[in-house]
Amino acid sequence: MTLNKGEKTMRKFKGLLALLFAFTLLAAACGESNDATEEETDTEETDNSEAEQEEETDDEESSATEDGEGDEVDLTAGGDLTFHMVTHADDGPFWSVVKRGAEDAAASVGVELVWSPSNNDPEKQVQDIEAAISAGSGGIAASLASPDAVAPALAKAAEAGIPVYTLNSGVNQYEEIGAVTHIGQTETVAGEGAGQRFNDLGATKVLCAFQEQSNVGLEERCAGLEATFEGEVVSEFVGLDADQTAQQAAIGAILAEDDSIDAILGTGPVVAVSALSASQDAGKEITIGGFDITPDIISAIDAGDIAFTVDQQQYLQGYLPVILMFLQATNQNTAGGGLPILTGPGFVTPDNAAAVAELVSAGTR
Amino acid sequence: MSDTAVEASASGAADGAVDTAGTDERLTFRGPFQRLLTQPEIGALIGAIAIWGFFWAVTRPFGTAGGTANWLDVAATLGITAVVVAMLMIGGEFDLSAGAMTGATGIMLILLVKDIGELGGLGLNLFVAIPLSFIVALAIGWFNGTVVEKTSLPSFIVTLGTFFALKGVKLGFAKLLIDNIQVGRVDEGTGYEFWRRVFASTWARNDHQFEGRDVVYNQLLLLGVVLFVLAFFDMAFVHRRRSDTRWLPVVFGGAALAVAGYVLLHVRNGGDMFFGVLVGAGVIVAVGAWGKYRYEPRTSSDLIRPSVAIQTLIGGGVVSLVIAVITAIIFDAESSVSLREIIADDPLKAIYLTVLAAVAVALGALWASRSGHRTALVRTLSALAVIGVLIAILLLLSDETVREARIDFLTSLLLFTEQGIRAILFVGLVAIGLIAMAMGAVRAGATSIPVRSFVQSSIALAVVAIAFFVQNQSASRKFRAELFTVMLLLALVVFCWSIVSLLAAERSAPDAKADRIGRLTMTVGVVLIVLAVVVRLLFTTTAEIEDGVPPALFSVRIVWFIAVTAAAVWALARTKFGNWTFAVGGNKEAARQVGVPAARTKTQLFMVVSAGAWLVGMLLTFRLTTLQASTGDGNEFEYIIAAVVGGNLLTGGYGSALGAAIGALIMAMSGQGIPFAGWNSDWRFVFLGGILLLAVIANNFIRSRAEAVRK
Amino acid sequence: MSLLEVKNISKFYGNIIALKDITTSVEAGRVTCVLGDNGAGKSTFIKILSGVHQHDEGQFLVEGQPVRFTSPRDALDRGIATVYQDLAMVPLMSVWRNFWLGSEPTVGVWPFKVVDQTTAKGIAVDELGKMGIDIRDPDQPVGTLSGGERQSVAIARAAYFGAKVLILDEPTSALGVKQSGVVLRYIVEARRRGLGVIFITHNPNHAWPVGDRFMILNRGRSMGDFDKSELDLTELTRLMAGGAELAQLQDELAEAMESTD
Repeated sequence: MTLNKGEKTMRKFKGLLALLFAFTLLAAACGESNDATEEETDTEETDNSEAEQEEETDDEESSATEDGEGDEVDLTAGGDLTFHMVTHADDGPFWSVVKRGAEDAAASVGVELVWSPSNNDPEKQVQDIEAAISAGSGGIAASLASPDAVAPALAKAAEAGIPVYTLNSGVNQYEEIGAVTHIGQTETVAGEGAGQRFNDLGATKVLCAFQEQSNVGLEERCAGLEATFEGEVVSEFVGLDADQTAQQAAIGAILAEDDSIDAILGTGPVVAVSALSASQDAGKEITIGGFDITPDIISAIDAGDIAFTVDQQQYLQGYLPVILMFLQATNQNTAGGGLPILTGPGFVTPDNAAAVAELVSAGTR
Repeated sequence: MSDTAVEASASGAADGAVDTAGTDERLTFRGPFQRLLTQPEIGALIGAIAIWGFFWAVTRPFGTAGGTANWLDVAATLGITAVVVAMLMIGGEFDLSAGAMTGATGIMLILLVKDIGELGGLGLNLFVAIPLSFIVALAIGWFNGTVVEKTSLPSFIVTLGTFFALKGVKLGFAKLLIDNIQVGRVDEGTGYEFWRRVFASTWARNDHQFEGRDVVYNQLLLLGVVLFVLAFFDMAFVHRRRSDTRWLPVVFGGAALAVAGYVLLHVRNGGDMFFGVLVGAGVIVAVGAWGKYRYEPRTSSDLIRPSVAIQTLIGGGVVSLVIAVITAIIFDAESSVSLREIIADDPLKAIYLTVLAAVAVALGALWASRSGHRTALVRTLSALAVIGVLIAILLLLSDETVREARIDFLTSLLLFTEQGIRAILFVGLVAIGLIAMAMGAVRAGATSIPVRSFVQSSIALAVVAIAFFVQNQSASRKFRAELFTVMLLLALVVFCWSIVSLLAAERSAPDAKADRIGRLTMTVGVVLIVLAVVVRLLFTTTAEIEDGVPPALFSVRIVWFIAVTAAAVWALARTKFGNWTFAVGGNKEAARQVGVPAARTKTQLFMVVSAGAWLVGMLLTFRLTTLQASTGDGNEFEYIIAAVVGGNLLTGGYGSALGAAIGALIMAMSGQGIPFAGWNSDWRFVFLGGILLLAVIANNFIRSRAEAVRK
Repeated sequence: MSLLEVKNISKFYGNIIALKDITTSVEAGRVTCVLGDNGAGKSTFIKILSGVHQHDEGQFLVEGQPVRFTSPRDALDRGIATVYQDLAMVPLMSVWRNFWLGSEPTVGVWPFKVVDQTTAKGIAVDELGKMGIDIRDPDQPVGTLSGGERQSVAIARAAYFGAKVLILDEPTSALGVKQSGVVLRYIVEARRRGLGVIFITHNPNHAWPVGDRFMILNRGRSMGDFDKSELDLTELTRLMAGGAELAQLQDELAEAMESTD
């Protein structure tokens, strides 16, 4: 009995140690990638040992910041500011460039940035916006892929006196909710541009293949295409970017069914590459256009397999809001003059693909 | 825990016990602590408190009313479904369609009330449409249950089918009827205002000012804690046949002293140690006298010299605490110099760290060798060798060129800042020290109550010392005032406990009446504590507004969450239906044999899940007014995870609705705490995964401990 | 009059004879042991008595009236309760909840009808006490009880819910010596309380101390239905093992032993 008890106690002790260790590791892992939280506390609650117990400065990054821009920018002005970017992003290739832009901007002006992706869940976006409000955010930039659902929360933030910007999607709502401006591309205009391109390329029937079912922006791209394209347009949902095999199969099926399709507009970069593989599998000569930029689509354009991609230059969509919010907070600037700031469309064609490719591999396009 | 494990452990213990009927060891009395520990949700509860404390400490907004409103909001919808899914899991089934169902009911509602053309919706009044959608939801649940029962297929497969069907139906109807995958807007329906108030009204904290809030909060909280502690006493000690009223004046005297001290402390606006000591002394006198007044005095004074093991534990604990303080003093709280630089530039600190690590591993090896067969020496030496290699690697990595390669894990260790190392070591050592001492107390309690009381008093003293140290070292109000107070209170409670257990006999037999009174008092205490917190969360003061406190919006869905949880807990514990739920999940055949309508019970459980999903659908619809066709798809696993984190068995037959609710709180707190802390969101899932794993391990651990105690 | 009596009953599965001409009876306050090796037809016999199967020939009388059960419910309604080897117990549920499962007493009006826990726990503790098992904490999970105690909970439950005849299917087969002793004690206790018990086992050593009547099955046929006064333990063991066959086996074993010496 006594021996038994000893063993039991030991087991308990071992368990507790393991828990403790795991927690420490986790905390270390989480803390590693954030750099400026120590400075975040306000004057009343100046920084202290235990509050930051699990955090530490990523030495390399912060020193780089100071070296690079320390002279031009007033770091103390930005030190207290925390900006929130609440997007419907999924952290895929497109959004990681937006995030990169936002992070670069935050680093260059020395502000704290909280990036809240939501994987296309408006409920989470609303909650993240509310979290930003209650955290006393210095500025909120949000993408409005589901305007009806998310706009009221954003309006509340504007009401509470927080500078609000919309990015990527939300060009029709930003004024209504009291946002300073919208940074993005008008999807209809971009779609129209794609339609013109297809006219020039001599296509007769275009499949507008979209990869998200609940995204107004994608629908507008197809609608824009329909507006300017002189031939026939069919729009189909072909599966999420997460499963490219399924996308390929879906596009392949449509191609097999309808022989008259001679062009495909993918409303995203992934879906365009899927369309390319599908058309190659089907052994058909199909003109393919895409939206946005990834290394894959650029090399396909460079090789001449894909005709063009509509580039909305999403790095700007991350970079500009942070800079604008910073300037509004420190210098009382309001940009846009009541109009949206367009980041596109630009086109990447075989002519300029090689130049863009370099920037893509740097992660900024 | 599997069936066979129970049997094995039970019969193993039984062999030695049965022949002496009446003194059956397995039937020994379980004290209030042990009973508390056998609750399935206890692991989750401890985890929730730990996570709350963690984020409270490392972030600014998390502990505020705004932050609380935010994570409660996330927890509410997750929690409602987690609770109903937990009920179904206890009943031995899964429902993968629950996630899609939340969106489906909402979209159906909107399509029912929409009035755009012949196919665009029925233009129904919301008062008709809402009950109608509820009935359809129940019908889907009934369908799930009936198909599972009739075909005997795993519910996993059947509801997966329903999930895909619902997903398709949502999309299909949305496209067919309004040609849009965003289905809106419910606010065009008749009766919207009324239903919005039911499902989506909010309480804006900044619009509700209550100047006396803090007074009410403090008094309620104190009263609640006092009642809670007294209830625990009542359940743990033997009552006197007749109370010894001679001690009553002393009780009142002590209480008066404590109250006086407390009032003075407030009038003088804190800070004066003398009044604090007055409060402590008053409470201790009152509690001690209360023990003499109400409980049977101890007869035996079995002062036995504590064993070597106990001495080691306590000594080790004290040493650990001392090292913690030394570490905190040696290292600089403000310095963000990295470990790499410490190793390179500050040999004293580097040596100190190395020695600490070596001692830790040597002790670990020593301890491991005790339970194993190898000699201590071999293990210690090999452990030291491992440390040496580790240090060599660390030093190697601190070299600039090697670091370029970024071997991530070790590099991240090297990037710990000095303040980080200090904080982690301090917290870790304090925790180890206190745990070791607590273990010493528990082991001492098995042989000698006076020794245990002595150890408990030492723990209380140590906590006080640490509290003062923290207060002294810390610049933030959070730690200087709030944590300090909590630690002092904790020390006081431990000390009171040790005093009373020294004076009064601990109970070794059940006492139904005392338990009933104790449980009632405890409930009242908990209610008061909760009430205190609620008052503080819901109201603001003019002073706070002038300070520019950020707005906090409490959604009515939190009320729904609490209501659903309460109803589920009640139903599971008190009703026939609850009993049958556990039975069909635990052993369906057995339940059938004794006349439980297993099929009907399971079908009803599926309907309960649908009803819960419907409620969440309504909450979402009235919050967002426009739903996407994909709303809720894929969330079903989160519900199941929350239920599992809350201590529900995947195999059914065991669990708790309250646990699932706490599981949802844990997930919501982690999910919202990470952005509050300003951590990179890329790490979010690592943290969540860690939480999930930890929770399940902790649940298992606690349950096996509880089972062991029961034997 | 016997509580339960079978006269010359037979059961056929197609052209296989499962049981042939079985006769035995059980009176109130008596224990009838049905002994037989594996495959002797014990489970078929139980299934007929408990209403799972129906007999093809012969007479089945309950309190003197011929019956033919069509379901286990029928048997239960006539007061014949069967405690199966694999026990109708939910291991993770508490003792009192298991005791009452399916027949919980309730108080209050719908929708606030709740299980009357005080009554239920009290009765469960009392009834188990009557069986001689002291459950001080009725909230203990059944899974933590020993095998013998679980049997006793099942027996106490059957007795409380109006069983007149208790059929115990191999209650001791999975238990150790001490645990078997516990169960045998409960059988005696049930007999003392006036229940008729049919105790099915393959262990004559367990049957002998508690039985009043012994019926031995071998390959679907009865080797005889004896009162305790008519035979002794050695005879019972011999009959059970198939009489002459055992004698032969003993001879062979003796020879084998000699040759090894």
